[in-house]
Amino acid sequence: MLNDNQKPYMNPYIAGVFLGITLLASYLVLGAGLGASSGIARVGAYIDVVVAPSRTMACEYFGSWGSQPLKYYLVFMLVGVFFGGLISALYSNRCALSVERGLKCTIIKRLMFALSGGILAGFASRLAKGCTSGQALSGSAVLLTGSLLFLVFTFAGGYAVAWFVRRQWND
Amino acid sequence: MINTFFGSGSLNTPIAFLASLIIGIAFGFSLEQAGFGSSRRLAGIFYFKDMAVLKVMFTAVVVAMLGISYAKGLGFVTTDNVFFMHTSYLPQILGGLLFGAGFVMSGWCPGTAAVGLASVKVDALVFLLGAIGGSMIYNEVFPLIKPFASVDHGLLFAYDSMKMSEAAFAMLFTIIAVGCFWGSEYIEKNRSGGGKLFGTRFLKIFSVVLIVVSFGLFAVAPQSSQTDVVDYSKISEGAFLDNIEDGMDHMSTEELADRLVEGDKSIILVDIRPPQEFDKFNIKTSVNIKMSELQTALLPYKDQGTIVLYSNGMTHPAQARDSLVRTGFKNVYILTDGLNGFVETCLKPASLHQEPLTQEMKEKISAWRKFFR
Repeated sequence: MLNDNQKPYMNPYIAGVFLGITLLASYLVLGAGLGASSGIARVGAYIDVVVAPSRTMACEYFGSWGSQPLKYYLVFMLVGVFFGGLISALYSNRCALSVERGLKCTIIKRLMFALSGGILAGFASRLAKGCTSGQALSGSAVLLTGSLLFLVFTFAGGYAVAWFVRRQWND
Repeated sequence: MINTFFGSGSLNTPIAFLASLIIGIAFGFSLEQAGFGSSRRLAGIFYFKDMAVLKVMFTAVVVAMLGISYAKGLGFVTTDNVFFMHTSYLPQILGGLLFGAGFVMSGWCPGTAAVGLASVKVDALVFLLGAIGGSMIYNEVFPLIKPFASVDHGLLFAYDSMKMSEAAFAMLFTIIAVGCFWGSEYIEKNRSGGGKLFGTRFLKIFSVVLIVVSFGLFAVAPQSSQTDVVDYSKISEGAFLDNIEDGMDHMSTEELADRLVEGDKSIILVDIRPPQEFDKFNIKTSVNIKMSELQTALLPYKDQGTIVLYSNGMTHPAQARDSLVRTGFKNVYILTDGLNGFVETCLKPASLHQEPLTQEMKEKISAWRKFFR
């Protein structure tokens, strides 16, 4: 269901330079790297606070974020990522309602993979205190030992599981 | 040293929120232009079909690394104005493995899924809902896994871990990245008819430029990891001393002594030195907590009472304070001049003081000495 008028992707190295400059700007202006999973986790904390305020505040993990978990710089960054992506996707004609999958894969099966992968990634990014943005990208760029390990083991975990979930992309 | 929001402790203020939003927009725009609004393209790397993830990510890491390394070498960036995450080996290794599995199953990671959502990909929305759920599950099981999840090995740079100089490590890293670029183009060329940039003038020039820029680091970065460590503590100590003037996050030795003598129960005095040193001597009423356990141990006192951190000097307490403040503590102070200063001003007998003392001060010192003995 791709739009015929969509522009080709940017040269990956040029896109990488843009991303690198953005990351550098984040360090020099904010004094901290980029992040995405924190914003997602804070949405989770917000939902918990709305549903069960006193119970959530008593939780050791979410409770430490206070009663207004959304008042956090990485939440604003995540909103920015969405709008930056929207501007770019509109500009390049890449907005199209779809479920990306191989032709032989059913929509339900693909969405089940997306959901279970999401749960795993959400949990793992809390355990590792970051995701591809905060650890693999931002932490590696300042050569932190733990972040580089995270990067290596993310690929290790990915390649270890790739074969088992390959069919969702079969055409 | 440049003034960052983190450095001035204002990362969670409206103006910093606005800056984060703008940086996020640039972040999302770069990701989408790279084609990361497509889960199929993202997953491609795990089947050696589309290596864009590796090319974009490694380019970004190398570009930012070179920028930061120059900024560090020239003194614009230190541990005072930039937040560097601590290393925790097992949580990061296990987290990486699980995260990689989630990444390949879903074809998304948190940042790219936000971009996928903007491109109206339903699988991205489902991934995000899952990730919110995964975070909530983590919150529920946190009490069970806390002993494992909260280990902290402190601030570790890979070049120190590998006993290399920063410049040598950065150059090696750049060369490996360039090798990966060529390898990726080669793989794509043979597997999927891609790899259009293999051997092009563009890739040759790009590779040479990155390596030359990384070589330039030998001119500005500290030459051995050891001098680096020493320089760091000097820079930090100096900067902290500069900050004593504004004094917002400091408590003077006299004030602390007075309040403790008066029996002020709101003070939580924390000694962050190793237990052996604490056992030999400590300030009466203090508790000994390891740096790595501060977060969890002090949680009950978050915004309740006045937490005062001390060590021999001021560098470690200031670092500890920074990381506490970042997680939302607003009531953390460090003891001006540390334990050494405390002994010097409050516990040394009045007769041994070099400077002339008023009668009032002499009485205070004798009261302090009586209380803290």
